[in-house]
Amino acid sequence: MGIIKVFVKNKCPRCPQAKEVGNTLREAGFNVIEYDVETPDGLAEASFYSVQATPTLIVADQQENTIADFRGVVPSVQQIHDLFYNNAGGQMQC
Amino acid sequence: MGALVELRERQDIGEECHETTDLALFVRTSDDDLAGWDRQKIVEAMVREAGVSPHVADEISREVQSVIRDSKIKFVTAPLIRELVNAKLIERGFEEARKRHTRLGVPLYDVDQLILHPNKENANVPHGPEATNLTLAEGIKKEYALLKVFSPEVGDAHMRGDIHLHDLGFIDRPYCSGQSLEYIKRFGLSLPNSLSNAKPAKQPEVLLAHMVKFAAALQSHFAGAIGWDAVNLFFAPYLVDRSDREVHQLAQMMVYEFSQQAVARGGQAIFTDINLYWEVPRHFENVPAIGPGGQFTGKTYGEYEKEAQRFVWALFDVYKEGDGTGRPFFFPKPLVHITEKFFRTEGAQDFLLHICDVASEKGTTYFVFDRGETAKVSECCRLSFKLNENDLLDAREPWKMRFCALQNVTINLPRLGYKSNGDDALLFKNLRAMMELAVKAHLEKKAFIESLLSLGESGPLALLTMAKDGSPYLRMHRASYLIGMVGLNELVKIQTGEELNQSTKALKYGLKVISHMNLWCKEFSERYNMHFVLEQTPAESTAYRFAKLDLRDFPDKATGIVKGSIPFGQIYYTNSTCLPVGSRENPIERVKIEGLFHPLIEAGSITHIWLGEARPSKESLANFVVKVFRETQNDQIAFSPEFTNCLKCYRTVRGLRSSCPHCGSEEVDGITRITGYFTKISSWNKGKLGELRDRNRNKGYFSNN
Repeated sequence: MGIIKVFVKNKCPRCPQAKEVGNTLREAGFNVIEYDVETPDGLAEASFYSVQATPTLIVADQQENTIADFRGVVPSVQQIHDLFYNNAGGQMQC
Repeated sequence: MGALVELRERQDIGEECHETTDLALFVRTSDDDLAGWDRQKIVEAMVREAGVSPHVADEISREVQSVIRDSKIKFVTAPLIRELVNAKLIERGFEEARKRHTRLGVPLYDVDQLILHPNKENANVPHGPEATNLTLAEGIKKEYALLKVFSPEVGDAHMRGDIHLHDLGFIDRPYCSGQSLEYIKRFGLSLPNSLSNAKPAKQPEVLLAHMVKFAAALQSHFAGAIGWDAVNLFFAPYLVDRSDREVHQLAQMMVYEFSQQAVARGGQAIFTDINLYWEVPRHFENVPAIGPGGQFTGKTYGEYEKEAQRFVWALFDVYKEGDGTGRPFFFPKPLVHITEKFFRTEGAQDFLLHICDVASEKGTTYFVFDRGETAKVSECCRLSFKLNENDLLDAREPWKMRFCALQNVTINLPRLGYKSNGDDALLFKNLRAMMELAVKAHLEKKAFIESLLSLGESGPLALLTMAKDGSPYLRMHRASYLIGMVGLNELVKIQTGEELNQSTKALKYGLKVISHMNLWCKEFSERYNMHFVLEQTPAESTAYRFAKLDLRDFPDKATGIVKGSIPFGQIYYTNSTCLPVGSRENPIERVKIEGLFHPLIEAGSITHIWLGEARPSKESLANFVVKVFRETQNDQIAFSPEFTNCLKCYRTVRGLRSSCPHCGSEEVDGITRITGYFTKISSWNKGKLGELRDRNRNKGYFSNN
């Protein structure tokens, strides 16, 4: 199962929407981690994935490789669902 | 030994003369004469300089007089008397007074060594009488800085090697600067204290002469690099109707003028960077152009693209030829900005191949990547000034675009690891304390420079206070205050057991350290209303100094951590946030990984790609450059081949060799990039020699010519 990483910060107009998507996915059983890029841990993680804009949502595999990314945009819950379940006709092998 | 002392006693003629004797002897004074013994002068100096009460000063002077009399000394100098007085001040517990009464100077032995042997702290300083003057003056000013400008807390941290205060010997100057040619194009060469003033240049050759002379004047007011923005573009209005031959000649003059040492301080070449563009940068497109005589031409810079392109092409023709013996030019460093617009501009592919050809042949080209909306002025070994909204407004009047970094303070990261004993919380606590100390150092230097600037035209920084456009030349409100780092790789190894490139965990730990530093810079910037910003310290000598001091002070812990050869003393820490120089990943991987740190280090970073003997095809380098621009966050790259220059037949060959393949002479010198510039290897310090030995030359990665 992949990890969904949501990068947000204060005073970012579309970040609440990204957080909402993250929360919904978490409630649906996905592994979601939210990072505030104005904290050292969040900024370090954002740097690792070359995140230059917020909100950004990264889907990573267990080895932390990027599987899909949404940079400066907010994907719909459905898009992430599709990514995980319609990939190769079954559950995504992350 | 000169005539000195005639020891005989006579009655003291001072106001309390009855109980003792004064000496009749001569003293070598700092005023270059032999003065008769006068105890009162000791008293006056103590009262004036050290704030000692007249009564105490009188007592001490009598004690010192007794010491001299009783010792039957035959060689009395002013420094000796001063040190005897200082000893007495210590005996009485007047520590602060002793500090104020200190004499700055250099031991005879040290002067002897300096005159005879080269100074290897900066490989850009040749050895010679003028350079010795420079080094001696630097020595005194360094002591002055540590005693007078900085607090004991900051000074001691530097001396211990917790931090490094760069260019202490140039304490009365800002550090590096970014300049605009438009200033001298508009206002001519009219400098405070100059013997003659020149109106704006009417010919390109004269403009070049003004630029070189102004650079020399600036060199004596800044400690480090002088960078020039958009040089080919700003020359362009002068090149209309000039033949290709004339443009080539001008390019050749520019490169030789800046690479030779005719106008240089202490024989040290002016550390010059020229920022170059194939396209007209967007922020200059609609700016009214200044042409001959300082007059607006009625056109915008967007209309001078062709002339700017001819000039930059010619500059790289010159770089490709190399100097009279085929060596690469060390200065001026050409920094080509690669932007989205670059690729959309006609002829970009041909130009990219041209500059990659030079990169392969000579290594001279620096590739600076300005992605998205980023625009910057680059200089020094990697320093850059990112242009903010206000700067882009200033671009409408480009002569205003003058930038400086006031000082650079570097933190010894591995030492923080040794002190933290693997405790992360303690490490970050100690790191923050060190950042706060760096900020304190900046505040102290800023206060000192402001005190000099406040003296205006009659002060030592008169040049920087001239206000031909209504603002002081040095725009303090736009100054940056640099905080650098050395040895992130070694710190990560101490904390995680792995080097930066050995695991994702180690890499992320490194990113966390730099993220902390980045955010603290922002916090301090807000608190003090100053621009604190991280820079990858070039660390030409700092990486060696820190390693040496840590090996002395933390031998058990540092022995397995420092890089290089301990038995040969060729030790160093890995520079800034770089991966170990010897690690074997392919260069694009190195560029990618190192590039992850670059957005956090807002005042400039670079990745070096060591080539050794290889001479890659220009096509393979061009592909590499495009890939770096498109697929990484890396700020700047440079390819570094190695050369051997024969000191007998003067020919230059590829690779580092112990003898000349042409004449067989063993009198040869190697040439390659030391940190952010090319120089002769014979001038390198021990740490850098150790690093050179370890560098991975990326053999077989690029397809060859």
